[in-house]
Amino acid sequence: MLISYNWLKRYIKEIPNEEDLINLITFKICELESVEKLPNGDTVFDMKILPDRAHDLLSHRGVAKEIAGILGIEFSESFLNDSLKEVFKQEKQEINENIQENLFINIQSPLCRRYVGRIVKGIEIGPSPKWMTDLLESVEQRSINNIVDITNFILFDIGQPIHAFDLDKLESPEIIVRNAKEGEQVELLGEKVGDTVKERNFILKENNLVISDKKDVLALAGVKGGKKAEVNQNTKNIIIEVANFDPVSIRKTARTFGIQTDAVKRYENELTPSICRDVIFEVSSLINLVCPNSSFGEIVDINNSKEEEKKVKFTTFYISKVLGCELEDNEIEKILKNHNYEYVRNYDLNEWEVIVPNNRLDITGPHDMAEEIGRVHGYEKIKPKIPELNFNHKDNEIWIKICLAKEKLVNDGYKEVITYTLTNKGEIEIMASTEGKNFLRTNLLDGLIKSYEINRLNMPLLDLSEIKIFEVGTIFTKDGEEVHVAYCDKKNKVEISLDEFVKNISDFSLKSYSTFNSQPTSFSMWSLYPFISRDISFWVPNEIENKKIFDVMKNNSGKLLIKEPYLFDKFTKGDKTSYAYRLVFQSNERTLKDEEVEEIMQGIYQNLTNLGFEIR
Amino acid sequence: MKEEEIEYQKGNLHPLTLIMNEAVLILKDLGFSVEVGPELENEWYNFDALNVPKDHPARDMQDTFFIKGQEGKVLRTHTSNTQIRFMENLIKEGGNPPFAIVVPGKVFRNESTDATHEMQFHQIEGLVIGEDISVANMKGILLEFFKRFFNGEEVDIRLRPSYFPFVEPGFEVDLRRGEKWIELLGAGIVHPNVLKNCGVDSNKYQGFAFGMGLDRLMMMKLRIPDARLSYQGDLRLNQF
Repeated sequence: MLISYNWLKRYIKEIPNEEDLINLITFKICELESVEKLPNGDTVFDMKILPDRAHDLLSHRGVAKEIAGILGIEFSESFLNDSLKEVFKQEKQEINENIQENLFINIQSPLCRRYVGRIVKGIEIGPSPKWMTDLLESVEQRSINNIVDITNFILFDIGQPIHAFDLDKLESPEIIVRNAKEGEQVELLGEKVGDTVKERNFILKENNLVISDKKDVLALAGVKGGKKAEVNQNTKNIIIEVANFDPVSIRKTARTFGIQTDAVKRYENELTPSICRDVIFEVSSLINLVCPNSSFGEIVDINNSKEEEKKVKFTTFYISKVLGCELEDNEIEKILKNHNYEYVRNYDLNEWEVIVPNNRLDITGPHDMAEEIGRVHGYEKIKPKIPELNFNHKDNEIWIKICLAKEKLVNDGYKEVITYTLTNKGEIEIMASTEGKNFLRTNLLDGLIKSYEINRLNMPLLDLSEIKIFEVGTIFTKDGEEVHVAYCDKKNKVEISLDEFVKNISDFSLKSYSTFNSQPTSFSMWSLYPFISRDISFWVPNEIENKKIFDVMKNNSGKLLIKEPYLFDKFTKGDKTSYAYRLVFQSNERTLKDEEVEEIMQGIYQNLTNLGFEIR
Repeated sequence: MKEEEIEYQKGNLHPLTLIMNEAVLILKDLGFSVEVGPELENEWYNFDALNVPKDHPARDMQDTFFIKGQEGKVLRTHTSNTQIRFMENLIKEGGNPPFAIVVPGKVFRNESTDATHEMQFHQIEGLVIGEDISVANMKGILLEFFKRFFNGEEVDIRLRPSYFPFVEPGFEVDLRRGEKWIELLGAGIVHPNVLKNCGVDSNKYQGFAFGMGLDRLMMMKLRIPDARLSYQGDLRLNQF
């Protein structure tokens, strides 16, 4: 999530500088994808909020509170300035007499846990104040109009999605939250695809939760608003929605239709219903700020959620035992205080009882407090300590057999390959895999024979007189999976089960694990271009040393000779010896032409002939 | 007539096997025993028992291959399934912690492939459970592992907060070789729900788990530039 430094600053007066924040976030909160200094002077942190903190940290307020808690510095509960706070407070009580209509909220589905709504009349659609468009711009939100901007602003500020409906487009001032009727349709607000806005019609199913008026669907609840009650330039009166929905339902609906919105992201991770009422106060005060002439209706709050106070108990001893370092009581107390935890300390039992804040849905037991405290304490302060582990458990038998089989095959001159489990035919099919990789292999030999072919063609590059390869791996049939052993050479193409293979090994004991003989050298990558190999054979007087011939070939071949000349045949007849060498040419940059290799070979022939050797 | 220049040709192991054996050997020496498990797995062992609930965003963290026509079957996305199977069996047979296991094996993710990503790759995971196995112990084992794995090179590790449903606290572990820190593995203190799901008394026992990619370790140690080279069946890879 993009987090604006200037936005955080509204919550924390003594916020550390950007550099210090980078470290604090990385080692105490979560990974940072990027940090960017913007032309508007702001700095934006792209924080990879951990999924278990999505409940509270997908918001500027949550992040600011966390930072302040870690540092033990002051955090102001609202970023609104004092005069605005006054309005905001009044709004809590005041119901405007001008509004005769009553909003009626009718929740017909248990998937809606809470719905808080309010009518606001006399809206003047226009631009947003600069401070707000600046902050929105920092987190890559384009300003649309003052009302839409407020809904966006609240989402990124508090993490609670909200929605505004154009009241006059509804059949009556009634909001119904219900499951869709099978086949019911809705046209959702456009998605910007490049420069064009794409509007889409969706056909709904019964398990989709919707917001509707008496006649039509107004929105896919928690996912996206609909066209019918869209707020636009002409909007005068609105209904504000601050609601809480079942996370699984939202997630399923969003997935069904392939819609991923900022609202979905927050709802599917679950939000606390307890903040809805506070949020509508904040929305109201922002609307009041941008549209001072607007009047507010009564807040209607239908709350079907049962949030109970959650308490977690733990001891200092437990925290120290999990972290493996001694923590002091007063450090734990300081961490709890800084994070504004309400807690009771039981001195007799040396126990802490913490009241879990409503929005910390992630905290369910003492293990979570070990994380909470350990993180702030600092993981770097925990000293590594190797535990004594002398349990003398036996290794799994299949593992021993695998090692044994590999050992045996290597001793017999076979080289190991590992091929793909996913292939183009088989008995078990995988969903949504790439064409050609949508089945599990039923045997190892198909892959091994392909590998044999590759290596046979590459033989000149491999310095091998024969290709002998093997694989030990799992195969899959309708009856289940089984580890197989397969090996392949010029004569044999054999595949049997691991158990069968091991039965035939007479000396059934694994002496040691094969690993590197010595410190391994660095890998050398091969050329991806084709090679050309040439064989050359000639007669040489017996007294001439092999080395001399070798040098002639090497010195006349240049850089393209990628391997030492390979002697593949040698015999002596009378006073002459016949040598047969293989020369392999390859470039790292291009495909070689036959002619250029021919030219090199001519040079070698010439030189060998000049020395009086007889080309065969 | 062939002569001594044409030598007897020895077999050898795939570099991944060598890396796997080396990692296993170090951990065995530190007191771990080896476990292996199935590659085609039930969702219970791959997800539910590991505290990854159905219909929860946490399931999206790993791109999973599902099996056609076999509801509830997946290609395992990690070797953690074997940790669950091991603990379940241990309790079933009347056993109890302490124990320390290392699980090497092939795993699958439904990702597009590039030089550092493959749809199949190999992992090694460790699980140590006892009465007071701690974060400090986890740091101790991991640091010692890397010291030996990188043959006495100067290495260090550091922890950053992270989230995996099967641990709490959860960590991202960075490794420093020379000057540079790199993000290398996930680890944490096993979530009590995971222990409970296997029948292990989570009030009495605690411990840590870690998991890392062997292909990645191979690329680092041997300087192999592309993970995909491993599975081509090309013997030019067998240089060690």
